[in-house]
Amino acid sequence: MAEDAAPRLNFAERYRKLLLGGVAVALFFAAWQAIFVVVPFNPLFISKPSLIAAGYVDLIESGDLFHDLAVSAVPFVYGLVAAVVVGVPLGIVMGWRVRVGYALDPLMTVFYASPLVALAPLVVIFFGVGVGGKAAIIFFLAVFPFVFNACAGVRAVDRLLVNVVRSLGGSEWDLYLKVIFPSVLPYIVAASRIAVGRALIGVLVGEFFAASEGIGYAISRFGDIFALDRMFGCILTVMVIAVALTEGIRWAERAAFPWRAEQ
Amino acid sequence: MTEIQAADVEIAATTADDAGAPRKGVWRRFEPTILGTGTIVLLLLVWEFLPRIVPMKEGTKLFFAVPSQIAGTLWDMFATGMIWAPLGVSASAFAIGLAFAIVAGLPLGILLGRSATLDAMLDPFITAFNATPRLVFLPLLLLWFGIGLWSKVAVVFLGALFPLLINTYEGVRNADKLLINVVRSFGAKEWDIARLVVVPNSLPYIVVGLRLAIGRAVLGVVVAEFFGSEDGLGVVMVRAASRFQVDVVFAGLIVFAALSLLMTGLVKLLEDRMSRWRPEHVNAN
Repeated sequence: MAEDAAPRLNFAERYRKLLLGGVAVALFFAAWQAIFVVVPFNPLFISKPSLIAAGYVDLIESGDLFHDLAVSAVPFVYGLVAAVVVGVPLGIVMGWRVRVGYALDPLMTVFYASPLVALAPLVVIFFGVGVGGKAAIIFFLAVFPFVFNACAGVRAVDRLLVNVVRSLGGSEWDLYLKVIFPSVLPYIVAASRIAVGRALIGVLVGEFFAASEGIGYAISRFGDIFALDRMFGCILTVMVIAVALTEGIRWAERAAFPWRAEQ
Repeated sequence: MTEIQAADVEIAATTADDAGAPRKGVWRRFEPTILGTGTIVLLLLVWEFLPRIVPMKEGTKLFFAVPSQIAGTLWDMFATGMIWAPLGVSASAFAIGLAFAIVAGLPLGILLGRSATLDAMLDPFITAFNATPRLVFLPLLLLWFGIGLWSKVAVVFLGALFPLLINTYEGVRNADKLLINVVRSFGAKEWDIARLVVVPNSLPYIVVGLRLAIGRAVLGVVVAEFFGSEDGLGVVMVRAASRFQVDVVFAGLIVFAALSLLMTGLVKLLEDRMSRWRPEHVNAN
């Protein structure tokens, strides 16, 4: 096959995927706005982009949106940090010490497989309605991806590297620092992607259940008073945040660990 | 000696001379299972006897349910038959939502896999919906569908759709191009290509998607029932929680987990049945 000099793709071809996606989103919102020309608009049932945008500006200006987001963010961060701090070492020990792995694996699988969200009411009863209860729910939901991925990461460590470090006189600590940790890091980052999703569920569950403050509570509150425009605005905000977090981590994974295939 | 070095030695021994390794005794073979189940049993025992050994405040003692209590409650629930009605409601929401998700997700996944244009256009929506917790839509769904079966079905549908869609898409994208070209050169149309090459090739991916979808579907039923329903097992659980009947809550959790395991087991059976023609499968058996 003759090797031609590859023709320089023009702008449209290079960014084809992005452009098509952008066009689709724009079309969607345009259609959403336009459909009410023919279909009767019931503000108690649905909202339209123009109203949503107006309500959104309102929410931002009054500071309500940021206040709610901040309130939701506190247990989210606490829970996630606790999940990393507890989950990763636990996973590493499970992967490194084979017997510990044998002992804890079925237990962890049982926990991961059962819908732990079902225990959320109990957690709230035990830990209270405040930040503690919500952070606890988020912790329990987010910890298992870290445990399993850290364990898998350790088990995937190249034995050759371990033997090299050992034969050059490395201590156990050297092993952890120079071989295990760098090998496990991509797995942990991948786990954080999954854990963030589960943590968001935890935030919402906590707020719907112990309805006090936060973005989840705002959504249900706006629903109760049929303020559909603000409700849609808050829902879209949560969607944007969720996408930003998940795709942001995915991007970081690709940038930092380019050799890892897309999971 | 650390574990790793011991394992290295064993690997060397077994690969060198299998017949002359009498050390593979009962303990070695069953060690993982023994340790694993042992830990669970140990934990259950500790849980059971904790209130008797450790002095607790009277209040906490009231809320603390031990495994024997939970087992008793679970048995009662089945013996008196009171579980079947709520379980039926939950299971039907689960089944209907999952069925819709399969009917919508599989064809759409195949379509998106085959058409790059369509894929590029729908990608932002799929990414957005997949990343967001379905729970955020629940108040809206309650407004639209009311407190009843259909808001639950909607939550389950949304939860189960995306794993199925995405995994089918991945499976289609990874279909063997060589086979497609062969079939095409024999004059196959799109539909034939899908039927003969793409779908059988994607089966492992679809199965993974189905397993993920089942997990999310169960979660969907649980949360939908917690916050917006009048009947169903989740409602039983949340009412019991507000009455501090911790044993009922755990019993409900066990039932949901069992449902999830049962469905996943069925999927595995289905997969085994449908994968009989695969070479890897045949060799493994």
